[in-house]
Amino acid sequence: MASSFTPEVSGSGFRAGVQRLGGYLAGMVMPNIGAIIAWGLITAMFIPVGWVPNASLAELVDPMIKYLLPVLIGYTGGRMVHGRRGAVVGATATMGVIVGADVPMFLGAMIIAPLTAYVLKLFDNAIEGRIRPGFEMLVDNFSAGIVGAGFAILGKLAIGPVVNALTKAAGDGVDWLLDNSLMPLVSVLVEPAKVLFLNNAINHGVFSPLGVQQVAESGKSILFMIESNPGPGLGLLAAFLFFGPRSLRPTTPAAMIIHFFGGIHEIYFPYVLMKPRLILAMIAGGMAGVATFMVTGAGTVASPAPGSIFAFTAVTAKGSHVGMFLGVIVAAAVTFGVASLLLGFGRLKSDQEPGETAAADEPVADEPVAEQSPAVPAQRESTEDVRRENA
Amino acid sequence: MATINGKDIHKLVVACDAGMGSSVMLASTLRKQLGKSGVTVEHTPVNDIPADADVVVCHSGLAARARSVAPGKPIVPFQVFLGDPAVTRVVKAIQQGADLDV
Repeated sequence: MASSFTPEVSGSGFRAGVQRLGGYLAGMVMPNIGAIIAWGLITAMFIPVGWVPNASLAELVDPMIKYLLPVLIGYTGGRMVHGRRGAVVGATATMGVIVGADVPMFLGAMIIAPLTAYVLKLFDNAIEGRIRPGFEMLVDNFSAGIVGAGFAILGKLAIGPVVNALTKAAGDGVDWLLDNSLMPLVSVLVEPAKVLFLNNAINHGVFSPLGVQQVAESGKSILFMIESNPGPGLGLLAAFLFFGPRSLRPTTPAAMIIHFFGGIHEIYFPYVLMKPRLILAMIAGGMAGVATFMVTGAGTVASPAPGSIFAFTAVTAKGSHVGMFLGVIVAAAVTFGVASLLLGFGRLKSDQEPGETAAADEPVADEPVAEQSPAVPAQRESTEDVRRENA
Repeated sequence: MATINGKDIHKLVVACDAGMGSSVMLASTLRKQLGKSGVTVEHTPVNDIPADADVVVCHSGLAARARSVAPGKPIVPFQVFLGDPAVTRVVKAIQQGADLDV
């Protein structure tokens, strides 16, 4: 086992790079999910097609999506780059892209806020230790003020209109996929990326910005449901419970509860990574789920985060609950079926052989062999641990 | 290849992609298991591993990133979120003050 602890060279790999970029995007959105859900709930209740239409309270909807949420994202994005000072200039510059565009500026905030904070960071580093005593506050406040003002103007004049066009183009792309019934194909990309720990990057970095735009227009969006559908993961874990390697079966009921009710999808990723062919089951279930959502016209008003069935129920748009439950169940059933088939209904001898997983992993030369080969023996030990605990 | 003694671990960090989901779950499990030992258990995003962490626990799919963020720190990658032997080994090393190879 010692080999699996040995640090491999560095994080320069492609996968780590994509993860890192995605991590930044998701990191700007995720701390603010609470505010997005608040907005989603207010929208679901008070807009004209909502549960309890109320014109006066519905006035909250527009300013929250146009100003509050992008500014929060800008604040968080700036803070990631340059602490509290970065947060302040990030939020300030975000106002520029908001005013310079007529769609919710999530994407614009994600670009301009870190950029502004980075420029301030460069300035702060350049002048560090060169300020005369007593002038620090003056310099600090006015450097932040000038950088913030400059980037707000830049955002209004240049970045806002460009991102506006980009966001609209992306929105048109989504509409095109929906109009041509091609939305389920998105699962072909989403499901494999998800188990490589790009789940947050996809959901909050890509789908959330586009989804809120759809909600602002039509009161619901299918985009929030693509990555976060807990159905495929549930189906996979159920297949493992009945047909997985015997040593793995005892861990699955607890994993199912954490996944389906707690919404921590990460818990099922290792099961897929251990038997990479099961990604086909995930894709099939994901596609079936998205197709069901599409046919029934289901949508949610905000991102169900974490992807728990409770979160799903809470943010599903009025009139979409039947479609939502149907999509989750269909996705779980399809994944269960395909995964059971791929697991040979528990009768594959190879599943009990330790060598099998190492050979089947992605063909990247350096990492996986060292990482994946201990998986099966490790799993054996761990389930024995669980058994001992249970005994 | 390095060795760290369980007695020298004062702060254990569990890292995941966002620092909000799976790391919180594992950290609360470990906090319960290590309650008596006085070790601080924290959860963070993998990009924000604090400098004063003595040992970092994260899923092997994120280990490459953890190593680039915190070079030279003992990183313990694990495969499964429930009862992974790599994690169990860290807990035992801390409880018994034994050596841990990382």
